[in-house]
Amino acid sequence: MTAISALNVQFLALLLFCIGLATTLTRRNLFFILMGVEIMLNAANLSFVGFSRTFAAAASMEGLVVPVFVIALAASEACIGLAMIILVFHSRESVDSDAYSRMKE
Amino acid sequence: MELLPQIYFGLFAVLALACALTVLVARHPINAAMALIGMMTSLSGLYAILHAPFLAVLQVLVYAGAIVMLLVFVIMVLNGAKDDHTPRFGSLGLVLLIVPAALAALLTRTFRGETISNNEAALRGTVDLTGQQLFGPTGYVLLFEAVGFVLLTALVGAVLLAKRELDSHKETKA
Repeated sequence: MTAISALNVQFLALLLFCIGLATTLTRRNLFFILMGVEIMLNAANLSFVGFSRTFAAAASMEGLVVPVFVIALAASEACIGLAMIILVFHSRESVDSDAYSRMKE
Repeated sequence: MELLPQIYFGLFAVLALACALTVLVARHPINAAMALIGMMTSLSGLYAILHAPFLAVLQVLVYAGAIVMLLVFVIMVLNGAKDDHTPRFGSLGLVLLIVPAALAALLTRTFRGETISNNEAALRGTVDLTGQQLFGPTGYVLLFEAVGFVLLTALVGAVLLAKRELDSHKETKA
């Protein structure tokens, strides 16, 4: 059906996941940490779709249903995460994650 | 072997990787959000050539349309431009880069010898078939309802968090 190598799709997903992980781990701005999480979720979705193409008939549809749920959960995650950023920004006037290393103060 | 899908795959793959790298190194959150839209749109193109048109549309509608819009809205409300003094990477940043690099190396080694190939009998992920899979007899109806509750909880939670913020503002002014 497709002329695209299934392995190449997985390598692309791996690279995207690693870039997202690097963004989440190394950046200090709170927005970039959230964006890294979104990149990782997208990479996982791509991996699901890529692997679903290697199954026959009804089994190939399973991998296309899981990303639907992942997208819905990503939407709720972004909603809560951004609300928390707004809250935390108003208490300290900073989007630097290091500014919140002492939450008790 | 058709050539056209491969050309499109290469194009979208390079575009997605470039946009993801832009998110990694961008200075301003707005630039990163725009790059994020580029990455999600090229992933939508990839879904389309991987025979998953429903997911391609959902990707544009929900990810590029709703989630990044929310992100851009909050960045603009909070005026993220103010934090020019925040360094881009933490002091531990370069050390922490070892983790994704090690993950990539490990998985590349694992994948390299494998031979996975696309199945000729894989179905095309149209709206019709995806809906049947979701709501069919062996489907995901309960999971679907649970996700609905999660979304509702997130909505109420976000409203409560923002409302508490508004109330505290009122108190400080009074």
